[in-house]
Amino acid sequence: MARYGMLINTKKCIGCYACRTACQRQNDLLPDESFIRFEEREVGKYPNVTVEHIPLQCMHCEDAPCASVCPTGAAHMGSDGIVEVDHGRCIGCLYCMAACPYQVRTRNSKTGEVDKCRFCTLSSYENGTKMCSCVDACLTGARIFGDLDDSDSEISKEIARTGAAPIAGDLTRAKIYYVR
Amino acid sequence: MIYEPIWGAIIAWYLFLAGLGGGAFATAVFVRYRHPDCKRLMRVGRLIAPIVVIIGLCLLMFDAAAGFAHPLRFALLLTNFGSVMTWGVVFLAVFVVVALIVLVLDLMKREVPMWLDCVGLVMGLCVAIYTGCLLGVCQGFPLWNSALLPILFLVSAVSTGMAAVLLVGVFYAPDEFNEVVVMKKFHFWLPVIEFVLVAALLFITAFNPSPAGWESVMSLVAGNWAVAFWLLFVIVGLVLPTILECWMLWLAKHEFETSRTGQMISALSDAGVLVGGFMLRLLIVSAAVPITIVQPWML
Amino acid sequence: MSGHALTRRSFLVGSAGVAAVAAGAGLVSLSVRGEADADAETDKRTEVVHSLCNSCSSKCGYYAYVVDGELTKLIGDEAHPNAQGKLCARGYGYSQIAYSPDRLTDPMKKNENGEFEVIGWDQALSEIGQKVNDIIAQYGPEALAMVQDPRPSGKYYTKRFMNALGSPNVYTHGAACNLSKESGFTQAIGAANFESDVANSKMTMFIGRSYADAIRPSSVAALQQAHENGAHIVLVDPRLNNSIAFADEWVPINPGTDLALILAMSNVLINRDLYDAEYVAANSVGFDEWASAIAGYTPEWAEGITGIPAADIERLALEFAEAAPAASIEPSWRGAFGCSYANSGETARALCLFNTLLGCWNQPGGALFLPSVKAGDLDPAKFPEVPKVEAKMWGAEEYPLALSSMGTNLYVAEMAKEGKVKGLFFYNSNMAAGYSNPAQLAEDFANLDLMVVVDVQMSETAMLADYVLPECSYLERRELPEFVGGRVPVVSLRDQVLEVIHPNTRPVDVIFTQLAEACGVGQYFPFTVDELADAQLRSVGTSLDELRQVGTISFPEKAYAYGKVPEWKTPTGKIQFTSEACEAAGLSACPVWVEPQVMPNETVGEFRLIGGKQAIHTHTQTANCEPLMDITKSYGLDRIWINAEVAERLGIADGDEVILSNTMAEGPIKVKVTERINPTAIYMPSHYGCKSPDQRTAYGVGLNFMDFVPFHMEPAYGSAMTQETLVSVQKVGE
Repeated sequence: MARYGMLINTKKCIGCYACRTACQRQNDLLPDESFIRFEEREVGKYPNVTVEHIPLQCMHCEDAPCASVCPTGAAHMGSDGIVEVDHGRCIGCLYCMAACPYQVRTRNSKTGEVDKCRFCTLSSYENGTKMCSCVDACLTGARIFGDLDDSDSEISKEIARTGAAPIAGDLTRAKIYYVR
Repeated sequence: MIYEPIWGAIIAWYLFLAGLGGGAFATAVFVRYRHPDCKRLMRVGRLIAPIVVIIGLCLLMFDAAAGFAHPLRFALLLTNFGSVMTWGVVFLAVFVVVALIVLVLDLMKREVPMWLDCVGLVMGLCVAIYTGCLLGVCQGFPLWNSALLPILFLVSAVSTGMAAVLLVGVFYAPDEFNEVVVMKKFHFWLPVIEFVLVAALLFITAFNPSPAGWESVMSLVAGNWAVAFWLLFVIVGLVLPTILECWMLWLAKHEFETSRTGQMISALSDAGVLVGGFMLRLLIVSAAVPITIVQPWML
Repeated sequence: MSGHALTRRSFLVGSAGVAAVAAGAGLVSLSVRGEADADAETDKRTEVVHSLCNSCSSKCGYYAYVVDGELTKLIGDEAHPNAQGKLCARGYGYSQIAYSPDRLTDPMKKNENGEFEVIGWDQALSEIGQKVNDIIAQYGPEALAMVQDPRPSGKYYTKRFMNALGSPNVYTHGAACNLSKESGFTQAIGAANFESDVANSKMTMFIGRSYADAIRPSSVAALQQAHENGAHIVLVDPRLNNSIAFADEWVPINPGTDLALILAMSNVLINRDLYDAEYVAANSVGFDEWASAIAGYTPEWAEGITGIPAADIERLALEFAEAAPAASIEPSWRGAFGCSYANSGETARALCLFNTLLGCWNQPGGALFLPSVKAGDLDPAKFPEVPKVEAKMWGAEEYPLALSSMGTNLYVAEMAKEGKVKGLFFYNSNMAAGYSNPAQLAEDFANLDLMVVVDVQMSETAMLADYVLPECSYLERRELPEFVGGRVPVVSLRDQVLEVIHPNTRPVDVIFTQLAEACGVGQYFPFTVDELADAQLRSVGTSLDELRQVGTISFPEKAYAYGKVPEWKTPTGKIQFTSEACEAAGLSACPVWVEPQVMPNETVGEFRLIGGKQAIHTHTQTANCEPLMDITKSYGLDRIWINAEVAERLGIADGDEVILSNTMAEGPIKVKVTERINPTAIYMPSHYGCKSPDQRTAYGVGLNFMDFVPFHMEPAYGSAMTQETLVSVQKVGE
C-alpha cells in the first residue's frame, strides 16, 4: 500500500492552463468539465507587485469531506490513498461538491454525475497512464507525483527540502502539497 | 474562478417544503393537545405534512439528475451513516410513513395513538433540523457552516408549518381558526425569534476570517440579493406578519379579530410567513460564497 | 541523419508501456496495456500518428493517439525543437476543432440577398475560375491578391497559385503581427530575426514579449533554465505578464516608449565607454553618426517619456555592460513593436544596434543566428517552375521597408477601395476581424468583384466572401514537410491523424490545385502533395516514408556553433547604424526617437488601449473552440485590465461593467481591477468579440480589440499600428 500525493510548486506555475486542457483531453472530459481550477493572488501595490497562480484539484484528503457526506458511498477513499468516485453509485445530489472546501469537484453536464481528479496514473477506475496527465503536461515541471510514505521518493524529498504544505494546513489532511 | 451556486431554486423548494411538512405535523400535534376540539385544523396539519414532504422529495430526486436517470441508485442512499443526508433520508422516510398512517387513521375517524404522534413529531422536528445541518456541515461556506443554521431552519419550519395550517384553516375551518388563540400567540413569536437568529447568523458570518463570509452577507444586505432579502424576506416574511399579528392579537378588539376582515388580515400575515420561509431557504442556498482557499484565511 | 528511430522507440515504450508493432502505411499499431485480456469485441485499435499543431505559428510536433478513429491523447514530440516533449494549453484544446459542430462542411456561394447557399465543388471551382479569368482579362493579374497566415502546405500552394496566375501579390498576416520588427531588424542586421540565448545568458531583457503568455514550450523551458541559472531577467512591459514567475524585475514602461528606453541605455553605454568598441568598429557602419544623434537621449530625458526612473535606466544599462556579451535584448515577436506603434520599426532597428554595442551576436548567452535547412532543387519535369513575376506587389513602393516576404496587406484593402485590386483570396486568415478597423475593411472588401475564403469555420472574413471553400481541419490532412531552424535544424511532418470527418471538405493542396486547374494554370500543379513532399525530402537526404515513421528528423551536421561572425546580409555587408534605405523612405538614417502617433492625456480620462495574447488563445482563431473558450468564460478572461488606483479614482470595482469607447467604437465590458498594469494603459485581450453567429461558442463574448483601432499604417514599414489608439471608460449606470 502506498499513500500517493502531489506537490505543486506555485513559484514555477505560470498560470497557462496547459494542465487543465491536457487533463481534459487525456481523460476524455467534456469541455466544461475541469478537474483543475485556478486561483490567482496579487501581492503588493503597483509597481512593486507579484502574482501567484495556484492550481487546485482534488486534494485526496485523508479526512475527505466528500466521502463523509456522500449518502450513497459513491465518493469514497480507495486504495493507496486515492479518493475515488464510483459513478455507478452517484445520484448527482451534489452534496460532495458543497462539502468540498476546495471547490474542486465538478458535475458532468451530460450524466449529472460528479467527478474530480482521479490521480489518473493509478486510479483503479481507469487503465492508468504512465504519469498523471497534469504532471506530464506541465511546461515548467511544477508538479511532482509520488508516494508520500516512501521517504526516498522524489516527492518526499522535495517536500522535506522545500517545506511544502497542504494549502489549508490541517483542514482535511490533504495530500497535495504546495510550495508557495 | 467565477463561482456558480451549486444548488438552485429546486433545492430551496425542497428545503422549504421538508421543513414546512415537519412544522405542519408539529402544528397538528400542538392543536391536538392544546386545542383538542379543533379537529378540522388538526386534519389540515395532518394532510399538509405528508403531501408537501412528498412533493419536496420528488423535487429532490428530479434535481439529482444521475439518480433520476438511474433510479435504482437511490436504493444506495442508506449506505453511509456518517452522512447528514443519509440521516435525512431516514428521518424523511420514517416521517412520511408515520404522517401517512396518521392521515389515514384521521380520515378513517380512528384515534391516532399518542406514541405515533410523538414519533411523527420527533421525526418532523428532526427533518426540520436536518435541512439546516445539511448545509451546516459544508466547511467551505461561512454562511452555512454555523450551528445557528439548524436552529434557524427549525424555527422557520415550525413557523411556516403553522402558517400553512392557519392559512388553509381560515378558509376550511374559519370557526376553529378563531379558537386557536394560544397557538396564534405562540406563532406570533416565531418570526421575532427568526429575526434575531438571522441577525446573529449574519453578524457571525460577516466576521468569518475568510472574506467569503463578508461577501456572502454583503450580497444579501447590499448586493445581488438585497431586494429579495429586504423586501421579500425581512418586510414580507418577518416584519409584516409581526405587525399584523401584533395588531390582531393584542391591539384589535376581539370582534374585529374574529370578523372575516380580521381573519383575512391574519391570512395575509400567514401568507407573508410562507413567502419569507421560502425566501430564507432560497437566499441562504444562493448567496453563500465559498472561501478563497489560497488566502491565508485560517492560519 | 540522426538516430531518431531510437528516440521514437523509446518514446513508445516509455510513454505508454506498450509493445509497438510497426504496421503498414507508417502508422503504428499498439496493443495498450490491459487490453490483452479484453475480449475481441472491446479490443480497440490504437494508432499513433505524428503531426504538427496548428493552434499558433510555432507548429509544435506531437504524437496523436487515435483509438478506433477517435482522437484520444496528444503527447508532445521530444524531438521537435519547439515542443521539446510538451504542448501548451492550446495544443490540447484546439485539437477539438476537428469535432466542432460549427465547422464549414460544404462550399458556399453568397446569393443576391447576401445569404450563403450550399453549392457543389464543381460549380464553385468553375465560377471562381471564370471570374479570375475575367479579372485578369479586364484588369491584369495584378488585380488579384492573396492573404495567408503561413502554414506548411498553405504558404507553398497559395504563392504558387498566385504566381502561376501572374500576380506578385502574396501577403502574410505580418502587418498585424511582426512586420515592423522583422523589417527593422533587416535594415540593421540583414536578418529578419535572431534568437536570444536566454538559457545561457547572464542577463536578458524582454520588451513586450512574454514567453509564458504566448507560449512556445521550448521558450518557456529556456526562460526557466535562465532563471535557475541565476540570470538577470528583466520584463519591460506595461503589464506584469506571467513570465514574472521566472523573472527578477518588472519595468512597467509607458506603452509606446520602448524606443526611448533602448536609446537611453545605448546612450549610457556609449557615454561611459562601456560598449564593445572593437566589435562595433569591425562589424558596422555609421556608428559615429548614431552616437552623436543619440547624445541627448540621457536617462533623465527618457524618464519623462517612459515613466521609468533615470536611475533604473542607468542601472539596467550598467548591468547589461557587466553581463555582456552573455546578454541581449530578446527579439520579441508581435509584442510591443511587431506592428504596434508609429515607432515600431525604428525600435526594432535600435534593439539590434543596442545588442551590437554588447557585442553579443553569436556569443554564448547572447543573440544567435540559428541555422535552418531548406529543400533543394526539384526535378523541373515533375515540378515545373512558375515563370517569375516581374511586377512588384501592392505597397512595395509606398512602404518600401516592409519585407517583401510579408508585404502590407492593409494596403491591399486600400487598393480594393480604389478599385485596383478586384479579386482577393484568403487562406487561414481572419483579416476582417484581426486587423484595424474591421468596419472599414468590410467596406473596402465590398468593392471586390471576387472574394474567396478558404477556412474551417465561418470567420468574420468568410462572412464577407462571395465564395467560402471548406477546408478539412489540420488533423485531417497531410501537409508538406516543415523545416524548422534551431540549434540542430530539423524537418517535421504534419501527417493526417483523422479520416476526413465532413466528406465535402478538402485539404489546402487539393483546393488550390483544383482552383489552378479551374483558372487554366493547372499545368503548374501536375503533382500530389505526397509526391511534392517526398521530392522535397529526398532533396535533403530522406523521404516521406521515413519522415512518417519518425515524425521529426534532425540535421546534426548543420548544427549551430557559437562564435562564428555572421555574414551581415545588408547592402553594406555590415551592421548598419545608418541605413540608406531608411533615409530614402523618409526616416532618419540612424534610429532616433520617434513619438508615438497618439499619447493619452490622463486629465481628460484617456488611456492607451494595449492588446496581448493569453496563453489559451491565438488571435481570434481559437475562440470558438469549446475547451478553450470555457476557460475564458469560467475565469472572465475577456475582461479589460485597469490599474487599481485609476479604478478607485473612477469608482470602478473589480467585476464592474463599464462602457469602453473612443471615436471608433464603444461597447460594454467587465473590468479586472489589478495592480499589474501601468496606469496610462487599459489592456484588452485580442481574442474576443466574435461577430460570426455561426461560431456559437465564441459569438458575443467580449469586445473586439480591432474595432477600437483606426485604419492607419506605420510610415515606411506599413504595419497596422494596432496600439496607436486611445479609449475612455465609463461605469455602467453613471
